[in-house]
Amino acid sequence: MPDGSYERPQQRQFNPYSENGGTILAIAGADFSVIAGDTRQSEGYSIQTRYAPKVFRLTERAVLAVNGFAADGNMFVKKVKQRLEWYRHAHAKDMPLRAIARLIQTMLYAQRFFPYYVYNILGGIEEDGTGAVYSFDPVGSYEREACRAAGAAQSLVQPFLDNQIYFKNQTPAPGASHPTHLPLPDVLSIVIDSFTSATERHIEVGDGLEIYVVLAKGRSTQELASIGGLQELSTRAEGDRMFVIRRDLKKD
Amino acid sequence: MDHFPTNWGRPRNELYDQYNTFPLHQRPTNHTDTFTDGVQRTQQPIVTGTSVLAIQYKDGVMMAADNLASYGSLARFRDITRLHAVGTSTIVGASGDMSDFQYLQRVLDEIVTDEFTAGDGNSLGPAEVHEFLARRMYARRSKMNPLWNALLVGGIQNGKRFLAFVDLLGTTYSASSLATGYGAHIALPILRQDVDPNPDAITEEAAREILRKCMRVLYYRDARSLDKYQIATVTSAGVSISEAQKLDTNWDFAEKIRGYGSQTQ
Amino acid sequence: MNSFADRFATTGTAAELRRIKEYVADDEDVSDSMWGSEAGFGTMAHGAPDFMVPSVPDPAAFLRLHTDDHADPSCRIKIKHGTTTLAFRYKGGVIVAVDSRATAGSYVASGTVKKVIEINPYLLGTMAGGAADCQYWETYLGMQCRLHELRNHERISVAAASKYLSNLVYSYKGMGLSMGTMICGWDKTGPAIFYVDSDGTRLKGDLFSVGSGSTFAYGVLDQGYHWDLTDEEAQELGRRSIYAAGHRDAFSGNTINLYHVKEQGWQFIGNYDVSEMHYNGPTGTQGYGYSVRVEGRSSANPPV
Repeated sequence: MPDGSYERPQQRQFNPYSENGGTILAIAGADFSVIAGDTRQSEGYSIQTRYAPKVFRLTERAVLAVNGFAADGNMFVKKVKQRLEWYRHAHAKDMPLRAIARLIQTMLYAQRFFPYYVYNILGGIEEDGTGAVYSFDPVGSYEREACRAAGAAQSLVQPFLDNQIYFKNQTPAPGASHPTHLPLPDVLSIVIDSFTSATERHIEVGDGLEIYVVLAKGRSTQELASIGGLQELSTRAEGDRMFVIRRDLKKD
Repeated sequence: MDHFPTNWGRPRNELYDQYNTFPLHQRPTNHTDTFTDGVQRTQQPIVTGTSVLAIQYKDGVMMAADNLASYGSLARFRDITRLHAVGTSTIVGASGDMSDFQYLQRVLDEIVTDEFTAGDGNSLGPAEVHEFLARRMYARRSKMNPLWNALLVGGIQNGKRFLAFVDLLGTTYSASSLATGYGAHIALPILRQDVDPNPDAITEEAAREILRKCMRVLYYRDARSLDKYQIATVTSAGVSISEAQKLDTNWDFAEKIRGYGSQTQ
Repeated sequence: MNSFADRFATTGTAAELRRIKEYVADDEDVSDSMWGSEAGFGTMAHGAPDFMVPSVPDPAAFLRLHTDDHADPSCRIKIKHGTTTLAFRYKGGVIVAVDSRATAGSYVASGTVKKVIEINPYLLGTMAGGAADCQYWETYLGMQCRLHELRNHERISVAAASKYLSNLVYSYKGMGLSMGTMICGWDKTGPAIFYVDSDGTRLKGDLFSVGSGSTFAYGVLDQGYHWDLTDEEAQELGRRSIYAAGHRDAFSGNTINLYHVKEQGWQFIGNYDVSEMHYNGPTGTQGYGYSVRVEGRSSANPPV
């Protein structure tokens, strides 16, 4: 190198990864999307902090939840936000959700040989006004789904969601059928129950809960009126609306 | 030490000692000098500092670290300062490899100077220093060439307290009480009990007493610690790092210990 | 001149350069294509994108250490894997049938994976092995196929498309990519299938099955296959073969996706639940499972 330093592979035994616990989940409704994560960050049996956000607002209508190795996750979110800002400067609008999903795939896959140890779940509102959830594996394979849980308690939460959202192993009454989309209050109850239950049964889950709710343009906010700990994040009332609900989880 | 029961009984991974006590005792090898093999060798911390403790309190942030730099189990340097002031409102405390810390001290001083010479009226606060360190630590881990430290960054910015952690992997977090290394297991529960309910209720003297108590607990149980330590405070008035202080300890109980060495009764 | 002094000096251009290099988190090139009008999507049109590789002597071993959950089930980065896929050629075109299960270790990561990747209206690719490898490179192949069309004013042949992919993955041989795919389509030569995998193998053939459940699928496929199948028979054979794999292979299952490639392009035939196929079958009248064949039978009244 011109500065006199040398760049060549150097043999060292060093594990560049760690695992910081926690769980994230997202559920898509007909015209809304809910993205949630607990706020505990741990390493081994030590709780590092009781408040470290894992869910991040990307645009007016997109939210990204990251789980796995916290340093990779935070860096990845930082880079996604940077790319979205560049897009805004180039196009004077926010990147659509499905384009963000593809961007995340290419960004994850660029690290195919030195992967980010991060499970991503992207939630928000598509251009056609429908609620959407995209889930990713650490190297970028992705899929649009109605619900997804990831992280430490994914194997506890996902079966519950399969049953409650997809009605897996439930037979409808004769002549009746299962709804394709659940109403917002039902979804919020399912999210809260998922996390309180995961907190009971998984040591790496707990302390706090952050639930992001994205509502499609023109949708009534009536159902959120009675929810405690609600805070609006959207800057203008006429577009898509975004809210965050902060709750306590058990801290033991 | 490994707290995962599933790892017990397996070969220990001594290449990465979380509590900075490497090199552990091991059989002599043909390589008598760690430095002869240069970069061929596995990177590891050589001269290390143990825990750093920090809490938020009424007027700002207080941080404590002892003055010891160990060379393995040898208490090699007994007058090392592991607290470093950055600018006028930030303190950085380091555990882990001392040479990497000295490099970081130089880098931090450089950026403070650069910021000063810009003369634009901006100065670096603790949040910026922490972000800088986090990026630098993460960049180095991504090059598989980590800076082998766990750092605490504390300070005051726009009248608000700031306290955060960053380690060799680039992992970051913040809380009202923090500790690195062995302290995260032994001292942090005590700090949390005293501080977390209400940091605003803790006076400077109370904060000093809490840290002194924890440093003493650590000195009793951490074999890589020293009874000489410093305390740094950051308040709206600025940063101050105390002179080295001696812990008052009481070893009378040792008389009553039975069952070791020559004491058979 | 004095490079040693330069290396440790804190002032001067070398130090400045060193400092700038240290500021950037990694050596990622920030090219114009990352923002500007291309906004990040242009990178792939300029040839294969760059990948960050860890600075260790054996990057493939590093990757295996952290991602190979077969050798070490406790490895943390669990990459999704796909499993049973099949495709065969017959007089009516190409039948492509796949299951929809993705596993990460022993966890069923998803039961709704699209393992048929729609490269363009005339080309399909299948997904077995690393889900991300298949998704990413077949999307990339789709872009290259479109560029071929624009340059040459005609559709790319299946042979050319598959060769593009095999050359591409061959250039990454030994780095840890994992994909076994069938590129299926209809071109000037008629229906065509090429098997391409991450070792660089590329085979032309009439009938392939790839993945952990492929042996089960082959069993059904081979006994029922001949060139002169009707469309209905061919579709049924594909469906029945994947059902067999879903039934007997733990890493396959959930649902079946069935595609038919004809001269006018591919057509999606349907999505079938494997359990539903077991009990009720595609028409809801007769399941593929053996229970219907032994129902009401006993030693006194044995099945004929």
